[in-house]
Amino acid sequence: METAILQVFRYDPEKDQAPYYKEYEVPVEGTLLNALLYIKDNLDSTLTFRAFCRSEVCGSCSVKVNGKTKLACKTPMKELVETWKGKPLRIEPLNHMKVIKDLVVDIDKPIEKMKTLIPWLVPDPRVVPTDPMHESIIYPEEMEAYKDQIHCMLCFSCYSACEAVADNDRYRGPFAFSKAYRFQVDRRDIETAKEKRIRYAISGGLWSCVQCQKCIYVCPKGVKPAEDIQNLRGQAVKKGFTDKPGARKLKHFVDWIYATGQINRLYLPEEVYGNKEAREKLTKAYTEMGVEVWEVPKPTKGLMKFRDIYLEILSKEDKALDLDFSHVRKIDRMVSEIFKADICTIVDRTHEEGRSSKGLISKLKGLLGGK
Amino acid sequence: MVKVGFYQGCCFQGQDAHMFETMKEMFKRIDVDVVLLEETTCCGGNTIDEENRKLSYAINARNIALAEREGLDMLVSCNTCYMVIAKAKRALDTDKKLREEINLLLKEEGLEYKGTSRIYHLLDFFRDVVGYEKIRNAVKRPLKGWKVAAYYGCHVLYPKEIAVDNSDNPSSLQEILKALGAEVIDDYEGNDACCGYHSFFTDKSMTLKKLNRILGGVKKVGADIVATPCPLCFKSFDIYQTNMETPPHVPSSFLPEIMAYAFGIDKEKSGLAHHLIKVEKE
Repeated sequence: METAILQVFRYDPEKDQAPYYKEYEVPVEGTLLNALLYIKDNLDSTLTFRAFCRSEVCGSCSVKVNGKTKLACKTPMKELVETWKGKPLRIEPLNHMKVIKDLVVDIDKPIEKMKTLIPWLVPDPRVVPTDPMHESIIYPEEMEAYKDQIHCMLCFSCYSACEAVADNDRYRGPFAFSKAYRFQVDRRDIETAKEKRIRYAISGGLWSCVQCQKCIYVCPKGVKPAEDIQNLRGQAVKKGFTDKPGARKLKHFVDWIYATGQINRLYLPEEVYGNKEAREKLTKAYTEMGVEVWEVPKPTKGLMKFRDIYLEILSKEDKALDLDFSHVRKIDRMVSEIFKADICTIVDRTHEEGRSSKGLISKLKGLLGGK
Repeated sequence: MVKVGFYQGCCFQGQDAHMFETMKEMFKRIDVDVVLLEETTCCGGNTIDEENRKLSYAINARNIALAEREGLDMLVSCNTCYMVIAKAKRALDTDKKLREEINLLLKEEGLEYKGTSRIYHLLDFFRDVVGYEKIRNAVKRPLKGWKVAAYYGCHVLYPKEIAVDNSDNPSSLQEILKALGAEVIDDYEGNDACCGYHSFFTDKSMTLKKLNRILGGVKKVGADIVATPCPLCFKSFDIYQTNMETPPHVPSSFLPEIMAYAFGIDKEKSGLAHHLIKVEKE
């Protein structure tokens, strides 16, 4: 029978001065949870871990395998052995929570953090009948908006893998934002509660998410917290919470991409942080390197049609921000001044000339040895 | 000669156009003709999704359709562009209604998203199309004695649906660096942490903490340089590092630069000579 070595984290705060790892040889069959149960039943009954349903429903058996968060009952041993190419598998408790014993962690902290985001329904009396004898109806098409989020089973896999939690203790955690978002799109929830959730989400680190997507990767139930966080950010901006750097970054993207097809990294520090020196510093650095500085991205062929598509979608869809046409006109004027023509003419001309201006090409040729 | 359409995003145009020239020159040495997809626009940087997700899908349906019009697969270097475009492709390939709705808009420009072009990131393109052997054979100046820390970045490994390698234990970057003759270090603190690029304009303190974590880990294992296939991770390491209170002065390299150097292109032309944190190693 094929076997694998598990190096399991052991720690009993009442007895041990420090954590240590103990090795166990287990059969490579079934899931990681089967392997842990095998240890408990056959090798060492003192090993402590949480596991109840054994079928991906209760969410209690999340652990780390060589640093990566896994739900033990969903992870085949064969897959682990293949991934780690026969290396020992180091089994550890989840990150960012106090260890109670061995693989069992204290989940109170993330639960308390989650509660600050009002992850429950605050009924709108105009929608939800106050008389309990009357039904509160939810139609199937309404449930589409939160059909994934309701599967969160509080396994804390995303909390353990989260890059924002790792470096910001106040950050509420991916699952908490998904739980909150679930009620933000529920018709029965009252508007005042939705507004409060956004306020609390912002103070709970909504803009600290780094969008690494690890929460989506580790979720055993297909919840996509990183995308729910994007949706919440959109709601925050739409509700007028626009005084955050992240909101100004979004505005930069929405306006510049519409206007030129590109963002403008020269102007990003200025438009987000009011930092004008950054542009001057960048310009100076590029000039010293002999690289021509592009004040604005050169509009590409097809830009006008691209704008049509952009506008068409924004006019029909729910969105965070309206296009700021005075900003767009300002960008257009900059483009016109630099390229000495109106935007439509430039777009036509771009095609004939190729992508780079002559100055840049000659400098690059110098840089690349005339090739 | 393999021909592939190159998606430039924001990292290979304007003052960064030289990065594309380096890339093109490097690819020539391994018989790949990199054709710039000129009419493409910004992918939305995973930020337009906050405005409206369908807008992000539409922008990228257009970008992919431009590659399809040329009959080419699309090669993306930036991890984030890759993820955003690959996510859009998945949505368009699985949601017929979405595809039809967006195609109706693209029609005006004479474009259509068909789903015929494959989206490659540098890493799977090197592994599956070029092959490590070809890279090894193109090396003129082996990186002998270079201790290189391998750093993937997040958006080529997560989420699983778009990952180009095994998300838990990837190997393609190490294989490429080994083919260049470098001594590869992949087991260091912070090797899987986010580079913090995307939080620089939402929560700057987060970026600096991430850099401290990763570059501190790289320094601790004694690597000479950290190499990444993502131009954004590279910018975070090289440019944002200078925003740290006490920068650890860890040099970094965008993977195509260090490849160009190993293929015999000099430091100046490979771009390695132009970093804010100097690459001293010869």
